[in-house]
Amino acid sequence: MVKIFIDGQPVDALEGTTIFNAAKEAGIAIPHFCYHPAFEPEGTCRMCLVEIEGMPKLELSCSTRVRDGMKVFTKNERVVEARKGVLEFLLAEHPLDCPICDQAGECKLQDYYEEYGLFDSQFSEVKEKRRKKAQIARNLLHDQERCVLCRRCVRFLKEVTGTNELGVFERGNHTEVNILDEIYVDNNYSGNLAEICPVGAITDSDFRFKTRSWFLDSGDSICPHCSRGCSISIHYISAFHRFPVPKRVFRYNSRKNPAINGFWICDVGRYNYSYLDDNRLERIINNSREDNLTWETVIPFIAKKMRRLRDMDEASQLTLILNTWLTNEELFLVKKLFIENFHVEKIFFVDPPQGKADDILLTSERTPNRRGAHEIGFEIKPLDWSMLSENTDMLLVFGSFLTEQTKSGEIKTHLDKIKNTILLTPHSSDLDALVDVVLPTTVIPEKSGSLTNVDGIVQEFSPVLEGKGESRPEWKILIDLANLANADFSVKTFTSPAVILEEMGKEIAFFKKRQ
Amino acid sequence: MKEKLLSKLFDVENAHTISVYIQKGGYKAVQKALKEMTPEKILDEVKEANLRGRGGAGFPAGVKWGFVPKGTDKPKYLCVNADEGEPGTFKDRYIMTHNPHLLLEGIIITSYCVGIHNAFIYIRGEYEVIALRLEEAIAEAYAEGYLGKDILGSGFDLEVCVHRGAGAYICGEETALLESLEGKRGNPRLKPPFPASIGLFKSPTVINNIETLSNVPFIILNGADWFKKQGLPKDGGTRIFGVSGMVVKPGIFELPVGTNLKEIIFKHAGGMKKEKTLKAVIPGGMSAPILTPDEIDIPMDFDSLMEAKSMLGSGAIIVIDEETSMLEVLRLVTKFYSHESCGQCTPCRIGNAWINKTVNRMANGEGKKGDIDNIVRVASNILGKTLCPLGDAAAMPILSIAQKFRDELESHIKDK
Amino acid sequence: MSPEFSEQTRKKLEEVIARYPQKRAALLPILHLVQKEIGYISGAEEKQVADLLEIKPIQVREVVTFYTMYNRQSVGKYHIQVCSNLTCSLLGAQTLIDYLMEKLGIDLGETTEDKKFTLSTVECLGACEHAPCMMVNYDYYGNLDKKTIDKILDNLE
Repeated sequence: MVKIFIDGQPVDALEGTTIFNAAKEAGIAIPHFCYHPAFEPEGTCRMCLVEIEGMPKLELSCSTRVRDGMKVFTKNERVVEARKGVLEFLLAEHPLDCPICDQAGECKLQDYYEEYGLFDSQFSEVKEKRRKKAQIARNLLHDQERCVLCRRCVRFLKEVTGTNELGVFERGNHTEVNILDEIYVDNNYSGNLAEICPVGAITDSDFRFKTRSWFLDSGDSICPHCSRGCSISIHYISAFHRFPVPKRVFRYNSRKNPAINGFWICDVGRYNYSYLDDNRLERIINNSREDNLTWETVIPFIAKKMRRLRDMDEASQLTLILNTWLTNEELFLVKKLFIENFHVEKIFFVDPPQGKADDILLTSERTPNRRGAHEIGFEIKPLDWSMLSENTDMLLVFGSFLTEQTKSGEIKTHLDKIKNTILLTPHSSDLDALVDVVLPTTVIPEKSGSLTNVDGIVQEFSPVLEGKGESRPEWKILIDLANLANADFSVKTFTSPAVILEEMGKEIAFFKKRQ
Repeated sequence: MKEKLLSKLFDVENAHTISVYIQKGGYKAVQKALKEMTPEKILDEVKEANLRGRGGAGFPAGVKWGFVPKGTDKPKYLCVNADEGEPGTFKDRYIMTHNPHLLLEGIIITSYCVGIHNAFIYIRGEYEVIALRLEEAIAEAYAEGYLGKDILGSGFDLEVCVHRGAGAYICGEETALLESLEGKRGNPRLKPPFPASIGLFKSPTVINNIETLSNVPFIILNGADWFKKQGLPKDGGTRIFGVSGMVVKPGIFELPVGTNLKEIIFKHAGGMKKEKTLKAVIPGGMSAPILTPDEIDIPMDFDSLMEAKSMLGSGAIIVIDEETSMLEVLRLVTKFYSHESCGQCTPCRIGNAWINKTVNRMANGEGKKGDIDNIVRVASNILGKTLCPLGDAAAMPILSIAQKFRDELESHIKDK
Repeated sequence: MSPEFSEQTRKKLEEVIARYPQKRAALLPILHLVQKEIGYISGAEEKQVADLLEIKPIQVREVVTFYTMYNRQSVGKYHIQVCSNLTCSLLGAQTLIDYLMEKLGIDLGETTEDKKFTLSTVECLGACEHAPCMMVNYDYYGNLDKKTIDKILDNLE
């Protein structure tokens, strides 16, 4: 450790760290465009210049390493003047697009101008005309006039994906970032380009003109679309919005996690958020002969049937279809209730089909908790219809993934043979008409719990959105069911997923939390 | 005047061939260096001689060589900077055309001193004819055993080849030169790390100008003290000054470091052409701040020119007469730098183009009140803020012209 | 259409690549050789060179567009480049540029109908003592005036 001084205050910094990072640790933000922690410092935007006592010129904070006793000034008059200078240069050749630019509200140029600028333009010349609204990828639009030539996009495609679709051409003030002829950006990480672009030069067509960034709130979550479990940030419409919008969630952003996804997320996960709002089940569907099934009555209804089967020593007639979107806690509850108490043997897993993995983040399993199921002790058996419909009095199906693999006609044939079929799912589908009762459940961002990723990292998450309509999380349904089915375990103490996880740690070594 | 050194053989027929060169005493320095001196002794001698870089920056050559780490197992490289792009500069062209073997001697001795076995001569692309001449000289040197394996039985190996650039002034900047040599765009690199530790192909590299290296054989043959006596104690040897512009005898003049600028113009270059009056002088290539007639009575050495708030640079003297418009000079300056900016960093890329646009507008008769103030302000925002010296090389002349010829520039603005 | 390099050029290309510890370093000299043979560097040449040096075509285009000496389309048999920098301008370069435009009947950057001459301006050539200067292909001509320009052009077949 070395001791340096930033703006007069003493700061302890790791030896060999840059001034920028030492300042960041101390809570001092230094403006920048080209610097990004994922890459080696570039030093070309010149925005992060600071004054170091004893050095004649201003120096770059992004690349200058600290030395013991160094005195740095990040906001004295000389530094602020230099920042204004850089801003003025960038704005001189920048189009007045703010009213129509998606980046507004989360644009570094706007933010820094507000903080350090607020000057009138002294540029009386003609700005360079460049390409605007050019498609450079299926999902990306490129505006060369807005580009500040930080080259983060070019570096990303060189160092992260190795695909080099973007290059830097020409020289001087004619320098431009562009694709080569018609070779578009085409890789599974292209969405990150719109995120890392500090201005509105690269924008996402998925988000284009949909809303304004200041209408969005954000919450931390975990991407559930493969077993990597990347950290994401869900951006959803906050309470106030001028006009009604058909959905809550407008996009995913990546969230830094050095242990799992670093700085990025893949496109498979990024663009797959409409399932949070589309086709959601909000009410219980009752196709059974029992009248008036509400949450108050449906759990006792199911529990009664379960107790009857157990009393008649026919608990083996209970069958489950699970999936690996269920959280650790939910799978643990299933194990305790159905396997340990009811000795259910016929347990199958139906998940969305596997996909192709890439060698960066995306895994072939397109569910978030396969590893969790495995660690809890489940043998992940695929569905065997003949085994299922034989000697099955009662079937509980978690999730609607059945419809992805089998035609409704065929499913109906099998389900008709089973006396009691209960479906627990967040989404409506053809299955709804084929079962006796459908219980609406919540999706991952609407509940709390934990998931185990492909490398065995257990990640806890909290709700970001409110559940839709009457939907409830599976863990709550299972606890209520366990209580009413007189299950033989102290389920009364299982008050929340966090408590359940702690309990899991006592029983299964894998889930014991390492402090 | 003291005897000519580098330019001694310029007028001798066929002095570019190895046979004539050797006949005239060539390659004796290489023999002395490889057979009688150790690398350490050579380094001491060159350091003592105060041989300063003749490309523009004036960094002491011996000190630069000393930065190369000793016990490294990485290959080391010598890059000979023959990019000669600084407007007004043409001296290196003469050395390469008329005395290429002198240069090769300098390359061999330098490489031997630093422990380098691979040298690249990075020559500007426009000098194609000269590149061919260099290649001929190199082939001759290989044939006679002055290059290649076990030179003169000393056990020292050296490979030299010529690498042509393709039209970019910025590639005269040492780190941009390295990038260009590696087959990339000529974008200067951040320093630190310095080329002496991480240079060409991430290995320790020395980069020196043609004229700088061509002085090394003389230091070896005659010693550091002698070399200092040819010039000044703190700035040894001679300089090949190039004079161009409105003079009677434009050309090269090899003279001691410290020769008076007025003397160079009026005595050696024959004074003003067609009896015109002197208006301004650029003393060290376009990047050097301009001097007015009352400022030219100064010795041409690094320290004196720095005191006069200009620079010796490449020793390229451009003489401007009374009939030349300083707005036109400013226009040509800004045209050049905006064209040659690599475009990497914000102030140089946008600032130079901005100033050029303003000056063009003024030259079209559409100047506005406040334009000159704005030019000064923008140039000041470039100065000292850029990644490489090109920003300063642009800002300094612009600021000096705007300051020293303000009234004349203002006279072009009708809207006041 | 893939460009065909002559056997001689192919050999020279191999020789040049062998000089460097990294193939990519040969890019600038290779592009000069290709341009000498083909006359310019278009997408097809970029791809060939990229394959030869085991880099990507986009990296070749980045280099081609950075340096002024690489032609992206064909030029006339003689590319006349007149210096428009400081000293040459002081000594009348603009008059000569105007004269050449008139004489050849083309604007800067254009080529004559018979594809014999292309005219453009260039920055400092490093021959200021002979200002005003021009370069025809890579041959330097200095101390120019209208008469000497006429003579030079007449001698070019």
